[in-house]
Amino acid sequence: MKINYSLITRRTFLNTLFGGWLLTFCGGSFYALLKFAFPTLGKEPDFVVLNTKDYIDIPSNSTKPFPWGGVMGLFFKKDSGTMVALKGVCTHMECNITYKPEDKKFYCACHQGWFDEDGKNIAGPPPKPLEFFDVKVEGEKFIVAKKGIKVELPKA
Amino acid sequence: MNCQRLKNWFEERYDFEELKRLTKHKLVPTHQYEIWYYTGGITLFLFGLQFITGMVLAFYYIPYFEHAHKSIIEIVTKLNMGWFFRSLHHWGAQLAIVVLFIHVWSTLLLKSYRKPREFLWFSGFILLGISIFFGLSGYLLLWDERAFAAVRVATGGAGNLPIIGNFIKAFLRGGIDVTGDTLTRFYAFHVSILPLITLFLIGVHILLVQYHGMSVPLSLEKKPQKQIPFFPNLFYKDLIIWLIVLGIVVTLSTLLPPEIGQKADPLAPTPENIKPEWYFLFLFQTLKLFPGEIMGLNGEMIAIILISCGILFFFLIPLFDRKSSRGEKSFLFTWIGIIYFVYFVVMTVIGFLS
Repeated sequence: MKINYSLITRRTFLNTLFGGWLLTFCGGSFYALLKFAFPTLGKEPDFVVLNTKDYIDIPSNSTKPFPWGGVMGLFFKKDSGTMVALKGVCTHMECNITYKPEDKKFYCACHQGWFDEDGKNIAGPPPKPLEFFDVKVEGEKFIVAKKGIKVELPKA
Repeated sequence: MNCQRLKNWFEERYDFEELKRLTKHKLVPTHQYEIWYYTGGITLFLFGLQFITGMVLAFYYIPYFEHAHKSIIEIVTKLNMGWFFRSLHHWGAQLAIVVLFIHVWSTLLLKSYRKPREFLWFSGFILLGISIFFGLSGYLLLWDERAFAAVRVATGGAGNLPIIGNFIKAFLRGGIDVTGDTLTRFYAFHVSILPLITLFLIGVHILLVQYHGMSVPLSLEKKPQKQIPFFPNLFYKDLIIWLIVLGIVVTLSTLLPPEIGQKADPLAPTPENIKPEWYFLFLFQTLKLFPGEIMGLNGEMIAIILISCGILFFFLIPLFDRKSSRGEKSFLFTWIGIIYFVYFVVMTVIGFLS
């Protein structure tokens, strides 16, 4: 079937063409800009490897920090002498926590949150218990890993 | 070339008569509440001061996490008048926020936001938000312990917003945690992005004031009004007040120069008794009120959503307050304004004392 008249005017055609082009161009540029402005996010590590001798001798009922990716991890030796490792970051607003040896509790100074020895949130605003890690000894090294992660070290 | 020839040279090219006529005819209402009109001018003056002191500080500040803290100590201890300009920048910022809050609440309680000035309110409110972000980004630049913790909390708090939260958090931090990348980013916000947006919005705000003229409170609108010329009557009064404000800023800067804490260390525990800047205290105190869990839901998320709703409602007040737009008295919104004010003051004081 042949239509004797045009369904769109030449003006509408050109406007759509140029408008569409402009929209695509601006959209593309904006998208590229956003891609640049948003960083490629790093990832929280699955595990870290530390020298045993730096941490094995800490006194009981005290902590020593170690770097867990960009944040603070804590080695914690309980009164009984058991060594555990945990993430030293409050579950409320991500401030670094401190261990209070006299109370045997972890404390966050930002909004007065308290956790007991086992990391359970017991007072203040924190919504979740602290995150504990698995600690394994391999020769001279401690391997601190997220719970449930299978660590495969590269063969030296 | 004498002045007359210079004048002629310009007048052949530009129509100064028109400008002169405009300034001569600019009238400003005068009444018992006119004192609140000055708060806008004072803010403008303080912003000017911040721009100038900020520019000279940028000559020496090093926006890199290993040197930032030390470079500020050097500005304060080694450079000519360095302590003074850092102090001036600090106190100028504090005062600008105080005056901005007064400006906002006087606008709210006098209902100056009512039709047709809604966009004045919106642009002003965004400027307030930007000023607070100026404050936050400015004090991260110190890269001390308090700034580090405060920025973690503030950006982490934004991360609790549903759906968009994590995007905002990553965008602000430049990564998953607050690191040296965050410092560089906040420097870019503080010295380039925010000042440009601020200049644009101040331009819009002032143009709108010129377009609409000063708002007269509802209670006086129907009565016969007295007006005085802006030039020179009000202009000189503005200058007098600016001079007094400058005196206050300089006095505070000289007598109470700001401190700088220990250099930020991501592996150090947060110091005891840490508190944010006073204009965040009410948020800080609100966050402490909420328990970790409310009926099985995440307490901090609920807190952040409620705070966001409160702020959004405040922003949209000109659209909700229909009565004052019709020129009727609107007691409900006077009370809402008072409630917001009392909440802010009470929470700030509790935060300060506790």
